[in-house]
Amino acid sequence: MFGLFKRGNSSKEESKRPLYKDLKKNTEEVKKLFSHGVNSDFVYRKVTSNTNKEVSIFFYASIVNSQKIYDGIIKPLFESEKENLRSVIILEDLAESYDFDQVESDINSGKAVIFEENSDRAYAVDVAEFQHRAVEKPENESVVKGPQEAFTESVSVNLSLIRKKIHDKQLIAETVEIGERAKQAVTVMYVSDLVNQDTLKNVRERLNSISVDNVRNIEILEQHIEERPYSIIPTLLYTERSDRAASFLEEGFIVLMMNNSSACLILPVTFWSFFHTPEDRYLRFLFGNFSRIIRFLALIITLFISAVYVAITNYHSEMIPPDLLLAITSARERVPFPGVFEVLLMEISFELIREAGLRIPNPLGPTIGIVGALILGQAAVEANIVSPIIVIIVALSGLSSFAMANISLNYTIRITRFIFIMAASFFGMFSLMGAFLLWLMYLASLKSFGTPFLAPLSPRYPSARDTIFRKTAIKEMLRPGFVKPQDMKKK
Amino acid sequence: MQGKERLTAKELFAITVLMIAVKIGDTTPSLLAQHGKNAFWLMAPIAFFTILPSYLLLMHLLKKYKDKNLVELIEHILGKRAGKLVGLALFLITFFSMTIDTRNYVEEIKLLYFPEATTSLVFIIFMGVCFFGAKKGFETIGSTAWVLFPYIKITFILLVILILEEVVWQRVFPIWGTGLGQIVMEGMKKSSIFSQLIILTMAYTSLRKTSMFHKGALFGALIVIVEITFFFLLYCTMFDYNSIEKVAFPFHEITQYVNIGSFFTNIETFFMIFWLLAAFIRFILYLYFTAWIFGAVFNIKEFEPLLLPFGYFVVILGLMPKNAIQNELLFRENYLDMITPFFLILPFLLWTTAKLRGEFKK
Repeated sequence: MFGLFKRGNSSKEESKRPLYKDLKKNTEEVKKLFSHGVNSDFVYRKVTSNTNKEVSIFFYASIVNSQKIYDGIIKPLFESEKENLRSVIILEDLAESYDFDQVESDINSGKAVIFEENSDRAYAVDVAEFQHRAVEKPENESVVKGPQEAFTESVSVNLSLIRKKIHDKQLIAETVEIGERAKQAVTVMYVSDLVNQDTLKNVRERLNSISVDNVRNIEILEQHIEERPYSIIPTLLYTERSDRAASFLEEGFIVLMMNNSSACLILPVTFWSFFHTPEDRYLRFLFGNFSRIIRFLALIITLFISAVYVAITNYHSEMIPPDLLLAITSARERVPFPGVFEVLLMEISFELIREAGLRIPNPLGPTIGIVGALILGQAAVEANIVSPIIVIIVALSGLSSFAMANISLNYTIRITRFIFIMAASFFGMFSLMGAFLLWLMYLASLKSFGTPFLAPLSPRYPSARDTIFRKTAIKEMLRPGFVKPQDMKKK
Repeated sequence: MQGKERLTAKELFAITVLMIAVKIGDTTPSLLAQHGKNAFWLMAPIAFFTILPSYLLLMHLLKKYKDKNLVELIEHILGKRAGKLVGLALFLITFFSMTIDTRNYVEEIKLLYFPEATTSLVFIIFMGVCFFGAKKGFETIGSTAWVLFPYIKITFILLVILILEEVVWQRVFPIWGTGLGQIVMEGMKKSSIFSQLIILTMAYTSLRKTSMFHKGALFGALIVIVEITFFFLLYCTMFDYNSIEKVAFPFHEITQYVNIGSFFTNIETFFMIFWLLAAFIRFILYLYFTAWIFGAVFNIKEFEPLLLPFGYFVVILGLMPKNAIQNELLFRENYLDMITPFFLILPFLLWTTAKLRGEFKK
């Protein structure tokens, strides 16, 4: 145990050692560091150049473009008459490094590192070519009207998607390295003359304060930088749509990206950023707002319908019109369970179908439909386990929950729904409203990177008032004031 | 206090209206109707205009001193010792009005919707919600009030529209009810139903700008008096003088009269949920302000831990009256009469003292 600790410490000190003057020593050291010979894709090439200079080149064959190495490094070395390596290698990115620590991270990030004779510096040439998918259509946030380019698992591709949309020299893509053991770069994007500097500082500080071995992608990064890990409300927006990220950038928000995620994180967020979809904006004023009303309705339905059903049938049955009451009672006549139990049973079954439907291998997909619809729906009713009206209620609440496209908010709402059902079963509308009020107050009290969660509804800030409804495109002249951008006006 | 850059006139407006105008939904109208019969709606403006000069004077004073809330102002003008004493009195008054009012609301919920439940259980749930709500702090309460405000008011307006066909306007006559003198007298005695206006000035320094407080509070007060008077008028014209004094909860009574079309005939629960939200917010504010006043008087900066003991005492004390009738007709009635002079005199006392001490000349 202690030995382990000791070794960890000493290796850290060792990696800070500067490079040697001697090529042989340097070569041996790097070979040792990367277990050359065991590590099958780690390549070491010794080249004697045109001017009779000995040069060692190191790289990982699996993450570099070998054509580029040949054209940009090896060929010039053989052909060039010049002495200085800087003028021999004509590739766009040539950096110098002076210690083994730097050399290590260079090789790991897909650079070819070149050592020359009698020199204590190494040259790192960017020849990285990590494998990634092509730009594809968004799978989880589809729109009918609007661009169809989703992010992919490569920051440079994602950057290009965003730069394509914002031609602004102030659009900055800053890199922050995180992780103690295997470093990964987080790209922080913002428009520098819009973004709020305090928020940006806050983000940088949080990124720098992460002390774990490795953060692979933004999905995990999200959990490291959020303020309230136990909260049911997400405080960062996760989106795979490049157009969405671009529109947020232009309003002064900050976007985080990493190489292994086909999505980005946007901050700070408000409730509305989860509630909106990009399509609201692409549709004309009236159509966009219509779809928002529908979505708001879906939000209300999915949160309340099961809970209200429980509350009304158990405590306020006088509220149901007599004909409907008779219909419900006759349907429930042969069902042995209490109403709450029935609702919970169906809600949980629905969650099961959803979870199983996500995990099931594609060829088995249709089974879910059969099991879900037939067994849980029809058969359960015929066996008098649940009443048909419950099936309708739960189907409606499940269907409406799909209208909340954002994955994070979706979970929030599904969990909240269960809280509300429990509350309603306790004291009807009284406890349900109590639970709702506390939930709402919790929402109102939240902050995401200093931005109140319900802004600009309350507290009020000068903004385009883009909440449940939006204005016409011409009238939206202000950036959201709650992000405190440096420039409020859009014109 | 906290959250200075957050709240604006809008939130204060919502707070003011929700805190006071909810009285249309409790037993205040029936309390007034005991004296005013079918003219009790006139007692609301009378009570309001009785307290208005005091209120405006207080606002004037607050404006003069700029960065002081109510208790700080009292202590500044009256000096440490006397100020603390008046502050303590203010606290006790607020605390006991909260206790009596909470019992009142709890009885209302229980009698109307959960007749088989015990009062104590309803009480505990009610205060539990209020406690957790109040714990979120003033800015959150303000934001929530503003978020819910439109929905609550829209349902109230819907209720008015639906009830209008049942109303017989001639029932306002005889216009002075049991006599002008009695109405004026009783109305003035009950002006403490607007005393929350004065208690709300505790939040004077908690908005973005103090000018916003004036805007929000005065506009709120205007809406409050219009709304209360109008609803009381509706009750008068709905029930007429014989039955009005026998109706305990006119708001819930009229919600039973309304229907939307011939299918939705019993929609009182629909109105009840919005009334309930308003009531929750009201008592969250009440609890918070009580703790706030206490904290200010005894120099407790972090007064939020006080919310739990206060909530607890409200439940214990609130359960002491034997029944709703005793609570309402004995305690509340007399209590409202008793505290009226305090709120009427306090601003004048402050102003005179300040004047005598020559504070305004500086």
